[in-house]
Amino acid sequence: MRRYRFGSGTGRFVGNTEKFSVYEDVISIGPKPLEGKRYERAPGEFSFSYGPLTGGLLESVAFDFETPGELIKSVRVEPYSKVRTIAIKGLTPQDALLRVERINGFHAASHSIAYEMAVEDALGVEPPEGVLFSRIVMLELERIRSNLLVVKRLCEPAGFGVPMNEVYYLTEKVSRLISAVSGHRYFFSSTYVGGCDIKVENLATSIKGVAFEFEKIFDGLLQSKIFLNRLQNNGKTDHDSDLLGPSARAAGKRVDARDDADILPYKDLGFNPVLFDEPDAFGRFYVRSIEIIRSAEIIENAVNLCSNGPQRRGVTDSGEGAARVESPQGDLFYYVKIDRGVIEDVQISSPSLLNINAFKKSMVGNIFTDYHFNWESFGIWVSELAVVLT
Amino acid sequence: MTNFWFLNGLKKGVKTERFPAAEPEEPPVWPSRLKGSGSYECPTDAIVGGEWIQERCIFCRRCVPSFTPTQSQNIYHIRSVEPMFRKSFYLYPVDSGACGACNTEFFNIFSPQYDANRLGIFMTNTPRHADAIVVMGVGSPGMAEALERAYEAMPSPKLIIALGVCALTGGVMGNSPMNREKYNVEIAGCPPSPYTIISAIMAAKEKKGEM
Repeated sequence: MRRYRFGSGTGRFVGNTEKFSVYEDVISIGPKPLEGKRYERAPGEFSFSYGPLTGGLLESVAFDFETPGELIKSVRVEPYSKVRTIAIKGLTPQDALLRVERINGFHAASHSIAYEMAVEDALGVEPPEGVLFSRIVMLELERIRSNLLVVKRLCEPAGFGVPMNEVYYLTEKVSRLISAVSGHRYFFSSTYVGGCDIKVENLATSIKGVAFEFEKIFDGLLQSKIFLNRLQNNGKTDHDSDLLGPSARAAGKRVDARDDADILPYKDLGFNPVLFDEPDAFGRFYVRSIEIIRSAEIIENAVNLCSNGPQRRGVTDSGEGAARVESPQGDLFYYVKIDRGVIEDVQISSPSLLNINAFKKSMVGNIFTDYHFNWESFGIWVSELAVVLT
Repeated sequence: MTNFWFLNGLKKGVKTERFPAAEPEEPPVWPSRLKGSGSYECPTDAIVGGEWIQERCIFCRRCVPSFTPTQSQNIYHIRSVEPMFRKSFYLYPVDSGACGACNTEFFNIFSPQYDANRLGIFMTNTPRHADAIVVMGVGSPGMAEALERAYEAMPSPKLIIALGVCALTGGVMGNSPMNREKYNVEIAGCPPSPYTIISAIMAAKEKKGEM
């Protein structure tokens, strides 16, 4: 492994896999215990269950709120209702990719690219620099759509129909751009180990238009006191929590794999993470919104440097590798072990694990009507968490 | 400020496509109906004896150039319809083990480009008010009871719509969450595009021919 080593955990904690705890550049054997206190119900309090099936949520996830009536005293999140067992071991890396990109289809580019770079690390594949820039374009397009969806879903419970639909229009527009770039609205089968297959003609102009339109909506939302009131001081995160992605950056923490993983040439594009100093739903909304505009700028700068190949081959058929990319929710890590051309082990650390933990703590002291804003502001996806890779 | 969003919304004008009265404006290449012939070692056995089986296809592009996409979004199959739902059709989504792509594509039919509400298609937050459940994803043990109870909670007449290859045959990810014989509408694709989803739902509610 070129970027990771096994050892005791030091540096920034990134998350747990089934077998490992993962840090910035160290993999430690055994998952790190995550803090979580058992809540003792006080007299007069009751448990209110919500989910796993409800039209208000994008995915199946169950919540148990402990409350005396409105104030949330504790919340338990059960993301494993729809846990899927996905057979990956024993497949070739390319066959396994068909399943990896469907772990979280909405963020297929992040999962595919992290996995491919782990495989490339294991097999000694050196992708051409142009392919690395193509990957940046894919990741940033995915980030723009993901962040737009979060903003849309924040407008929805506030009853802000016009901005909600305006943002939703842009979300669909980006899906169509992704389709034009990769042939598929979710990047499926458009990227592979050592290369990719995308077309970036006219992308810079189109994405600039999306960012321009969004900026006007964003300015309008920042002037809407009712909207801001629903977000500010809602779901404040604890500074000591392990936070990832926009949740961390909203709390002022310089936490971004684009900044510290040094795996994709973001620094050549002058990348700097967006930081803010309000660790609540508003801060997360703000950071995600600014990142939409910044990601569009990154794409504009990267498109002229993109290429699809030539595809490079590995120098070995066995080895172990690891890679971490910044998915829209935070650090996404893959570890693979390959033996004579087939996957022997694969481990994934999803940012949603730590984000759920932070969400649970941030809900305490809020009221139930705050819950939707807070949950959506974290942009959690349980599909990437509720998987068992066999 | 009071009228800001109202006026802003009006200024933007109508953004909704004329689809399904007109052809889709921007149909995706993948997934779409494939044409071609020949044998190919398909990872989901979607090509058997030179024939393409849409319900098994994950559109992984490995059979290109023997099979090529046509951009036709009509990749669904209607087993039975219910004429009572012609004017309004309330749907309840059930994520039985989806990757998230089918979920977002289903919700996207309500985005301004498609605006399924204008076609009498609505979403409901409870199966008690639903005319059909929309099943997405592979079967997962933890969701089996919830899926069954959601179906039982719907008043009759009721339909089951299977959305996406995972719900139909499991694709590469697992097994179908229900016996396929129970499905009234089968929508292929991984994930199916909003055009395909709307076409299938319209065919189901307006008693149109099978694709």
